[in-house]
Amino acid sequence: MASVSATTKYVRPVLSLNKNEARKRVLALYKLWYQEIPQILLDTSLPVTEKMCFDKLREEFRKNANETDIRVIDFLIIKGEQDLQETLEKWKNKGQLMDYFKVTVEKKPSDFLGKFLSGQD
Amino acid sequence: MAGVIARCVQIPRRQLGLLGYLVSGQQTRTLADGAPEGKKVGGPLADQDRIFTNLYGRHDWRLKGALKRGDWYKTKEILDKGADWIINEVKVSGLRGRGGAGFPSGMKWSFMNKPSDGRPKYLVINGDEGEPGTCKDREILRHDPHKLVEGCLIAGKAMGACAAYIYIRGEFYNEASNVQVAIAEAYQAGLIGKNACGSGYDFDIFVQRGAGAYICGEETALIESIEGKQGKPRLKPPFPADVGVFGCPTTVTNVETVAVAPTICRRGGTWFASFGRPRNSGTKLYNISGHVNNPCTVEEEMSIPLKELIERHAGGVIGGWDNLLGVIPGGSSTPIIPKSVCDTVLLDFDDLVRVQSSFGTAAVIVMNKQTDVIKAIARLISFYKHESCGQCTPCREGISWMYKIMNRFVEGNAEEHEIDMLWELTKQIELHTICALADGAAWPVQGLIRHFRPEIENRIRKFKVAASN
Amino acid sequence: MLRLPLVRATGLSSSRLGAVGLHTTGSKSQASQELVEVFIDDKPVQVPPGTTVLQAAAKAGVEIPRFCYHERLAVAGNCRMCLVEIEKQIKPVAACAMPVMKGWRVKTNSDLTRKAREGVMEFLLVNHPLDCPICDQGGECDLQDQSMAFGNDRSRFTDIEFSGKRAVEDKDIGPLIKTVMTRCIHCTRCIRFASEVAGLDDLGTTGRGNDMQVGTYVEKMFLSELSGNVIDLCPVGALTNKPYAFVARPWENRRTDSIDVLDAVGSNIVVSSRTGEVLRILPRVNEDVNEEWLSDKSRFACDGLKRQRIITPMIKIAGKLQSVAWEDALVTAAKALQTVAGNEGAVIAGKLADAEALIALKDLFNKLGSEVLATEQGFPKDGSGIDLRSSYLLNNTIAGIEEADVVLLIGTNPRYEAPLVNTRLRKGYLHGEQTIALIGPNIDLSYEYENLGDSIDIITKLKNGSHPFSATLKNAKKPLIILGAEQLTRKDGAKIVSETQALANTLGNNVQASEDWKVLNVLHTNASQVAALDLGYGSTIEDVKQQQPKVLFLLGADDANIKKEDFPNTFIIYLGSHGDQGATIADVVLAGAAYTEKTGSYVNTEGRAQQTGAALTPPGMARPDWKVIRALSEIAGHRLPYDNITEVRSRLEEVAPHIVRYGDVEPANFFAQAHELAKQTGGSFLPDPVDIKQKTLDQFFMTDVISRASPTMAKCVQAAIKQRQTEL
Repeated sequence: MASVSATTKYVRPVLSLNKNEARKRVLALYKLWYQEIPQILLDTSLPVTEKMCFDKLREEFRKNANETDIRVIDFLIIKGEQDLQETLEKWKNKGQLMDYFKVTVEKKPSDFLGKFLSGQD
Repeated sequence: MAGVIARCVQIPRRQLGLLGYLVSGQQTRTLADGAPEGKKVGGPLADQDRIFTNLYGRHDWRLKGALKRGDWYKTKEILDKGADWIINEVKVSGLRGRGGAGFPSGMKWSFMNKPSDGRPKYLVINGDEGEPGTCKDREILRHDPHKLVEGCLIAGKAMGACAAYIYIRGEFYNEASNVQVAIAEAYQAGLIGKNACGSGYDFDIFVQRGAGAYICGEETALIESIEGKQGKPRLKPPFPADVGVFGCPTTVTNVETVAVAPTICRRGGTWFASFGRPRNSGTKLYNISGHVNNPCTVEEEMSIPLKELIERHAGGVIGGWDNLLGVIPGGSSTPIIPKSVCDTVLLDFDDLVRVQSSFGTAAVIVMNKQTDVIKAIARLISFYKHESCGQCTPCREGISWMYKIMNRFVEGNAEEHEIDMLWELTKQIELHTICALADGAAWPVQGLIRHFRPEIENRIRKFKVAASN
Repeated sequence: MLRLPLVRATGLSSSRLGAVGLHTTGSKSQASQELVEVFIDDKPVQVPPGTTVLQAAAKAGVEIPRFCYHERLAVAGNCRMCLVEIEKQIKPVAACAMPVMKGWRVKTNSDLTRKAREGVMEFLLVNHPLDCPICDQGGECDLQDQSMAFGNDRSRFTDIEFSGKRAVEDKDIGPLIKTVMTRCIHCTRCIRFASEVAGLDDLGTTGRGNDMQVGTYVEKMFLSELSGNVIDLCPVGALTNKPYAFVARPWENRRTDSIDVLDAVGSNIVVSSRTGEVLRILPRVNEDVNEEWLSDKSRFACDGLKRQRIITPMIKIAGKLQSVAWEDALVTAAKALQTVAGNEGAVIAGKLADAEALIALKDLFNKLGSEVLATEQGFPKDGSGIDLRSSYLLNNTIAGIEEADVVLLIGTNPRYEAPLVNTRLRKGYLHGEQTIALIGPNIDLSYEYENLGDSIDIITKLKNGSHPFSATLKNAKKPLIILGAEQLTRKDGAKIVSETQALANTLGNNVQASEDWKVLNVLHTNASQVAALDLGYGSTIEDVKQQQPKVLFLLGADDANIKKEDFPNTFIIYLGSHGDQGATIADVVLAGAAYTEKTGSYVNTEGRAQQTGAALTPPGMARPDWKVIRALSEIAGHRLPYDNITEVRSRLEEVAPHIVRYGDVEPANFFAQAHELAKQTGGSFLPDPVDIKQKTLDQFFMTDVISRASPTMAKCVQAAIKQRQTEL
């Protein structure tokens, strides 16, 4: 068993070798997005202000603030870069972009009466 | 129907109950090599040895005439000798059932002669003579009914039965009426009924007429029919000796078997046993029909050679013996035998089994060379198709399928491999049903294929040639 | 014809009927006999003498194919599919009919056996149409299955004359059974079922040989309360379910095990559903209750589940019921409930209510301070009332009815009130020499019985011994009294109960039967009744009418014949599944679930607790009943302490533990005490003759909301009336 656990410990890095490098990449991606937002707004004429976009950008990054696994962070970075590319190349349309600004889904009721009235058992 | 039960060899042991092993043991011995010590061949019967002296209805059939011919003579004394004496006498006589299966009558009757469990016992006389070719019971019913009535009384006494039902084929209207008259006369004369013949034994006889179904000649179907239900054979076991008419122990016997019983009792079992080869003893009514100069019903000794019977009584085959094609020896359900076999065969149970046929009811159907034998057998199958009760799958579906194939064989519109298929079909039908009707339908086809296969092949070839031209 | 007294009197076991025997009682007497050893494929098996080869093989774990044989019917032995070879026998024997002999060696897989089967299969298919793609039996067809397993893989049938297969005219035998007689293989199971179990000699065969046909002799419908069972019995697609024709294939249906609630027998069923619809209902085997039969109402009324449904809550606005949201309906109802102070509320529970709803409603109204909880068919309060269960149960169990030797029916028609109880009586009558007598009007029970008259005081005469029949009753070894629950709603119901208890007590004292033989039995007609009585629904509708409550809660009560005029100042809340009598007089209608849409507990007439399974979700906004009551309780300010079914059932267990012991009968045995208490019951019998609601077949089909909403049942009623008129 010992040999098994020894081998599983070793993971191949995706992009970053350590936390520091990952952090640098995250910041770089954030910066890139931040710089491109005005251009994106110009191109797409979304019904949002620049301020809202900056807030949303921070919110999206903050969502994963607790992530510590370097590999996961790397994947998220790749995904973020892809998203950015898709946005800039206009592969994403307006509706897809507005997805970021979706209203939060209502929580399911947990009490008996609430469940009864909403018909969710 | 009676002849259908011709299952001499095939009687499965279980049907014989406890005594089955004994019986079949006897049979194997008999079959091993011809007859044991005794007569080798039956000869012409002398006039004084005839049992049915009014077979042709030349005399009075009513009580007065019957008394003149010796019926009802000292019947009381026979009854007084008791059941065991009667059964013993029948056993000594070696009488075998005349309905086709050839089961030893003494033994059959002794099954019934056991202490009663509170239920009444019944004797049922099978007069549903519907087998094509057979017309022996008819002569007894219309010309010698008192022999039957007296036989009922004696057989009833032997079994301890309280009543007899005579089941007569629906088409036999005049015969049934004669029997009814005979019964009425016997009642009036005090011969049957309360204190029959003054012996202190009470015995009633009822006549029940059928409605024209061949299958009602099968014993359990006959019982159902008497009970007023559809005439469809019952499952066995329980056997009629256990649960028969109205749920009571019953024995079903053929008219001829019962009608000879009084004479056996009067003249002694040994007298009867002196005719025919051992184990095939007695005299028998033969019906000769078909291509003979003088078709007739005649009483003859058992084991008489077929050729002698035809030449002596029926005036020979039309066109001479050499014009003979084949003979169906025991009623329509027995396999046909070709001329080569007819030359030497004896008419009794064992010798016909030796030639892969069956004695049946001794209804000899003669066919000379002008017969289209395939068409003849096809006609028989048509009869069985019509008379199948429809209960069992192999009989209901199988026979009509056979009929379709046979019809094509008549024209020759078939393939040669279908002959083998038909053979296989008959094997698929045979022994797979509740009663023996299906067997009776399968056997004539088997006989045909066994002996006349070249004939069928020829016809198929001819048809092919005609079609290709 | 079927009852052969002579054969049975002599105890002849080898007879055809004896071989079939009684399945529940037969085995007991045989246990003491010596066993015989037979070999099935060289495997030794010990079986009692008289066992058939087929049964012995089943014991050895070998299944022999069959078409005509059926365990619960007489042996016909005509399909010949079960032929097997016995060593040293020339002829193959029919395994279904042949009793085994000592030392037999049965070969179920020998060449001879296989050839025989193959041959029979071939013959069966010669005239069987190849219409499997359009046959409703497809997928559950014995012929299909067995030809796959035992048949040949190619055909030898050449039909160069193009004469075709046998074609038979289809028969119109009623609105329930579709016939395609060309497919018939003449196994005669339907005929035997009709004459033995249903007691109707309408079916039979005509013609012979290849022209044999199964039919009804003369053109006539096969109308019986049990006719649907021939659909299950038919091994091919000759008799199929008419309402279900061309609807679905068996493999695409979802099957849910459940319980029937349209009578008080509690037959076990399987609900076949697909795409939110109940397509058909099939019986499920339960030897103690319905064996494997099902009454026509239970089987075919399922299309009533789709019609007349209440799919939203409703409030009466300006004299009209209008659909509203749950909040509005519940608030309106709750407001009314809040006005109830003390004993001003009342409940009437209908015949389809489940125990969960009953306990929730009882808890709610008890919290409000009301104690008047009534059932549609009240039970008299005098004597021990409903305090002792033995007073209102079918104590001797349904299966136990077969064993009785003398049965006295008082004011009940089991044939229509509980068809599967009647099959037990008929079985006892046919196979067990049962003598049956009835106090009530002249009705057809499908077997012979002695009608003692329709005057109720015959019970007293029987007790005193002044009636000619009392001698028979007194000499009985296992007497049984079955009292129809319908009679208890009479004004003199209390007297009937006490006198019947007294009669049962006198009989019970001189019976030589074992201790657990119970003479007194009550036959209910309502599925909810026993559970309701167990839970303390002790009031009658008369009580409710006298009380004139402020709020009346109808829990699916549609059959009580309640009129708005009876309750001029009462606020009526109705909770139920169908818009029927109850909903029309209600001020608030709450949408409940039918029995196929909820998991609910029911107790049948013998006291057996069983549960239904939810095959579907309730339609529209309808909710399971107990949940509606729970929600209402919260809004009314008396929150009930359970949120899910498990919690409701623990509450049920507190009140009546046996209701959650599913499958078991909780015996009740306080007859003597009940009799002692009943002695004080005063009053006398009324001169009215005993009457029974369901006397003829047309009165059988529509007895509750579901069957009243069912178009199939409507057709059945029409057919039954038409048939009766043509026969007159």
